[in-house]
Amino acid sequence: MTTPGFDELIHAPTRLSLVAFLAATGWADFAVLRDSVGLSDSALSKQLATLADAGYIEIRKAFAGKRPRTSARLTDGGRTAFDRHVLALQEIVAGTPGRWPQPAGHPGSRSAASGGEPAPGVSP
Amino acid sequence: MNDQIEPADAARALSEIGRRREQVIRRTAIPRWYWWAIAVLEIAFAADADYSRRGALFWAGNALLAAGMLAVNGLLLSRQSRGPALSPDLVAPDSGPRLLAGSVALWPAVAGVTLGTNLGLEAARVPYPATIATAVGMAVLVAGGQVLMRYRLHLLAPRPGGRG
Repeated sequence: MTTPGFDELIHAPTRLSLVAFLAATGWADFAVLRDSVGLSDSALSKQLATLADAGYIEIRKAFAGKRPRTSARLTDGGRTAFDRHVLALQEIVAGTPGRWPQPAGHPGSRSAASGGEPAPGVSP
Repeated sequence: MNDQIEPADAARALSEIGRRREQVIRRTAIPRWYWWAIAVLEIAFAADADYSRRGALFWAGNALLAAGMLAVNGLLLSRQSRGPALSPDLVAPDSGPRLLAGSVALWPAVAGVTLGTNLGLEAARVPYPATIATAVGMAVLVAGGQVLMRYRLHLLAPRPGGRG
């Protein structure tokens, strides 16, 4: 059973949009992500790198003919963190936030999140 | 940290999550233009059959219909392959069979309405029965297609957090 767990890394607005989009799909093309979430190439690259460093997403680089094609998808860990974050948000909205366990070295801790805040002007 | 999150902020985040999920569901749906394109092709073909009977024009219409169907379906497949794929986690166990049943039921319903109307019009000796019957059947297809896509959105959108 999934337990609630607020995740600072996911909660940043741009990353929340990205992770929510990826949670609803499988592999998503870089261009699809960029256009869907409304980010510049560089802002998307930065956010994807942050999420990949946390182990939340997997990035695949392939070639379609001679053109490089980058795709991303949520890892099992990323999906679990997202599900826990959703439950935590629901509890906050319901007014019953609990004290959720944070595993040691959890990527959503304050120190991890502080290094990956969205660049100014890229939040949706 | 979570103590500092206001319920309004959490509600906004949940709303954004729902919006993104709906975005994916809409992007993976069969687009409205597809239903209209199929309808226009079928009506044109029926009109061709009514006017030309079995002449050369009829067979030319047949070939055009086949080419048009290939183009429309190819365009749809190309669009779907370039876009995101819906995560299986989003589909609740009972949603899949219900969606499949809806999709499967649409085509016999369209065929039934078209054939029934055609037979009735022929019996009443109304001119151009195939064209009129196909137009009625295609109206069912276009309306049914929209209803089916809305039903799909209704089934898939409310699931919070995908699985779990």
